Amino acid sequence: MVLNDYQKFANREKWIKYLFLWPTLILLLFLIAYPFIMLIYYSFFNYSFLRPGNVRAVGFKNYVNILTDTYSWERFIFTFKYVALAVVVQFVLGVLIAFLLQKEFWGRETVFTIVLMPMMLCPVVVGLFWKYMFNTEWGIINYFIHNILGLAQVEWLGKEKNSLWATIIADTWMWTPFMVLLASAAFSAVPRYLYEAASVDRASSWFKFTNITLPLSAPILILAVIFRLMDSIKMFDLVYTLTGGGPGDATQTVSFTLYKTAFQYFYTGEGSAWAFILLIIIIGLSSILIKILNYLSEKSR
Amino acid sequence: MEQRRGIVRRIVFVIIIIVVLIYTLFPLYWLFLASLKTRIDLFTIPPKFTFKPTFSHYKKLFIYTTLETGEEQQTRFLYWLINSMISAGVGTALAVSFGTMAGYINSRMTYRGKGDFMFFVLSTRMLPPVAIIVPLYIVFARLRLADTRLGMILLYTLIGIGLATWIMKGFFDGIPTEVEEAAFVNGYTRFQAFFKILVPMVKGGIAATAGFCFIFAWNEFTFASIIATRHAMTLPPRIVSFMGTSGFEWGIVAASGYILIIPILVLFILIRKYILMGMTFGVLGRK
Amino acid sequence: MRKAKWLMIFFAFMLAVSFIYAGGKKEEEGSGAAAPEPKKDVTLTVVWHGGVCADMLLELAKDWTAISGVKVEGALVGYGPAWHDKIASEFAARGSGFDLACWDSQSIGEFAGGGHCVLLNPYIEKSDKLNMSDWSKEMLARYGEYPDGSGKIYALPVNADSEGMHYRKDLFEDPDEKAGFKTKYGYELAIPQTWQQLRDIAEWFTRPPDLYGLGMMGGREYDYLTSVTNCLVWVFGGELWNPATYEIKGYIDSPASIDGVKFYIDLMEFCPPGVETWGWDEVNVAFQTGKVAMAHNWFYFFGAMDDPEQNPYSDVTGFAILPGGIGRDGMFRREFSMGGQGIGISKYSKHVQEAWEFIEWYEQKEQQKRYGAVCQTGRQDVLDDPAWLGGNDYNRLFRVAFNYTNDYWHLPEYAILLDILQEETHNAITGKKTPEQAMADCADRQEKILEKAGYEIERTPKIDVPDTKVTPCGKPDVVPIYVD
Repeated sequence: MVLNDYQKFANREKWIKYLFLWPTLILLLFLIAYPFIMLIYYSFFNYSFLRPGNVRAVGFKNYVNILTDTYSWERFIFTFKYVALAVVVQFVLGVLIAFLLQKEFWGRETVFTIVLMPMMLCPVVVGLFWKYMFNTEWGIINYFIHNILGLAQVEWLGKEKNSLWATIIADTWMWTPFMVLLASAAFSAVPRYLYEAASVDRASSWFKFTNITLPLSAPILILAVIFRLMDSIKMFDLVYTLTGGGPGDATQTVSFTLYKTAFQYFYTGEGSAWAFILLIIIIGLSSILIKILNYLSEKSR
Repeated sequence: MEQRRGIVRRIVFVIIIIVVLIYTLFPLYWLFLASLKTRIDLFTIPPKFTFKPTFSHYKKLFIYTTLETGEEQQTRFLYWLINSMISAGVGTALAVSFGTMAGYINSRMTYRGKGDFMFFVLSTRMLPPVAIIVPLYIVFARLRLADTRLGMILLYTLIGIGLATWIMKGFFDGIPTEVEEAAFVNGYTRFQAFFKILVPMVKGGIAATAGFCFIFAWNEFTFASIIATRHAMTLPPRIVSFMGTSGFEWGIVAASGYILIIPILVLFILIRKYILMGMTFGVLGRK
Repeated sequence: MRKAKWLMIFFAFMLAVSFIYAGGKKEEEGSGAAAPEPKKDVTLTVVWHGGVCADMLLELAKDWTAISGVKVEGALVGYGPAWHDKIASEFAARGSGFDLACWDSQSIGEFAGGGHCVLLNPYIEKSDKLNMSDWSKEMLARYGEYPDGSGKIYALPVNADSEGMHYRKDLFEDPDEKAGFKTKYGYELAIPQTWQQLRDIAEWFTRPPDLYGLGMMGGREYDYLTSVTNCLVWVFGGELWNPATYEIKGYIDSPASIDGVKFYIDLMEFCPPGVETWGWDEVNVAFQTGKVAMAHNWFYFFGAMDDPEQNPYSDVTGFAILPGGIGRDGMFRREFSMGGQGIGISKYSKHVQEAWEFIEWYEQKEQQKRYGAVCQTGRQDVLDDPAWLGGNDYNRLFRVAFNYTNDYWHLPEYAILLDILQEETHNAITGKKTPEQAMADCADRQEKILEKAGYEIERTPKIDVPDTKVTPCGKPDVVPIYVD
């Protein structure tokens, strides 16, 4: 990277640094960092915002309780299953659809916009509507399965195994467009001449795809996976409207448990501990992926 | 043989495109039908594909019929719609502006703690909203920002700023430094170079960032339902509060889903070109 | 380039408009303002879940505005946990976002116990328009008293509700059906007086896939499932807890209580598939589409059942009071869940006096009579008023029904205990755990919550039918109720 000449100018008007950075920094510090520090502070007490009497410092007890409770581990495992499945499915589908949309064909721009539409809907509306569609009796999905294909009715939201898939189907419908968008952008960035060179050597499209397109788009694809991963772990709206954490506690993700603890039970101390644990998990996963991202970025030069 | 393979491939391609379209479109279509069905039609077994449509759900969004006298009055739908537009629109504008500025600095200069700053910015996106919401609300209440439009704008700026900073940094990374050097040589101050030359070059990135930020802010439910009560209330929390005598008003939910999507759709159709063009530019020079 | 220019102009315009708007509106009174306003400009904010009753309250409030100049506006939220969360967050932040709030009767423990609402006794005593005796003792206790038995009132009833049932008169009165039923079961097909009879009728009418015997709630969310299983637990002689000793083990997991849960599981056979995800909305839909012969739901929705536009079967819909049950000790008990909300004043409101004046006006007879046209009121004189009773087929049933209602725990920890009970009961009915295991786990977890909150649990010897100790209401013979 030729920065040497630029270095001459690098120190020019350094004050601009402060002007441009401070608004962002101040905003984030006051409105996110400060409440977050409050959160950490509370996690060492058994405090509740709603029932303020009787506060005691409990040290790490909240954290210990969470990490040693079998219920918590069931939630972690479920969340892991859900996130892994959802992100993988969305990644594969997203890349596939972007691949198909690479070719120029009549109506391509319209198809592209349509494919992006599910992402634009309000998540609450999406959750509620899928709940309606998944209903065992009058849902349209069971209509196709039962009346048209003749198979047995599926109890989507009432049986544990099915509810996981119902959530994944709804989540995939809504967020695959995110993958499609980023993947499309990545694919259209690959320089044409590389393809032409490959064609000369009689390479098939599959070969072109796996040896040229994918490696060069890897950085953006990983970035998309990072964002989807973070958002999946944080996901709350969908579980809230679609299953309410049910049946029983089958679809209760860690994020939903956090909501329950902090909001329904108003156990502020414990809720804060959950939040911190969740944050550590997300930071850990993202860091690993960012390292991979940087490595691939370097490689693609 | 070649030709046969070509045709088969073509057919498979078309089939897959059609399946993808059905998977995406059918729920959208079904949602649209639901917004036009009466409550009785919504729940028939088997589901109805043809029926007598009613616009009453759309109407109920805007017009409220009193129970006692049956006279019609306006609902506050337009008020909430405007609130949504203001909060999401101004919030997005601010987030993109601040993010662009911060992204520029992080792309061009080094300073102590740069890596930490970037990570801090990204980490704000990692926090689950439900965790932060009550402490944030308390901070807002103390600052007298609760249930005010300014509070909502700040909130949405917050939500977007992390994304904006990272994406814009990526785009600035993609512009070679020679551009600025040329500008400096020609007597521009850094300020002028930034505004007059660099910003227009990353138009695409700005469009894409604005698009994403606007979607997230416009559809945001969790924060809006708690921070806003009456003055600053936006649309998403209000959609689910419609309940009729019989129970949940599915038709109204479907209708409002479509009304909500219109501004986003319009925005995306307008900036579509910039996104594809812009993203391309950014990817090439990713650091 | 032209498109870009238009885009820029559009956004600049939006920015300008919004800054003007945002700047101006912030000065409005409410949570943003600094100084107290002169009385004339006061606007009260009421939080409730959206629905007919809230609409009615707000409509009636317009008359109050005409009288007093104080505006009353609603901040309505969706039904379900979001509604509780909204009120709870505002209280937690000590915010003045709303002045009045309507919360589920069971939440009184949480909100009053946390010190977030205004004690109403002094206001009622000073008032010459309202009197404690305007409501029955039960009514006041259920909707506004905390702690139980203390006489301290923090909320007044704003919507009274209880569970009931409705059925298809055409099926019940059809001669062929009656004959067939009598042949099979040996007694007349009529409104069931015991749950055992209801089960028989449900079995009789279960003819999949077009018709099932019963529709009832069973969903995991909020209180859907347990509002039904509680009825069954109670009629079999079980109890949720012992309020005197704070014991839960031996009560919710007593043999009698488990009988109730098992009975629910039996009944599921006669309900359409998927009942374990149903809330009141699905029950309504099932009845309105003619899928079920009987439905167990809240009185709140009976109005819709009566309305031909909502219910194609409205002219053949009959209403009834829920049956009682015969427990393992041979006693007959009739109990079911109560619902409804109370309205209270937030302690952090800036307009406590104006809020009280509004409630004082609203709870008077004339206003409650108008309200009673669409919802159930709590005022005794309206409930006794022949005009109200004769207004439709079910009002007179409600007046009787309310005497048989029972309720959840009136503790600040209500929301947590409810969630645990919902979760474990749902585990039991979906087969994830046996009812015995689920209820035992439930008792265990709930007691841990109580201990965590600092209650002392006194241990007493266990008995199989706890109701005989806590709220003995068993009768040796079936006591039928006929209301015409």
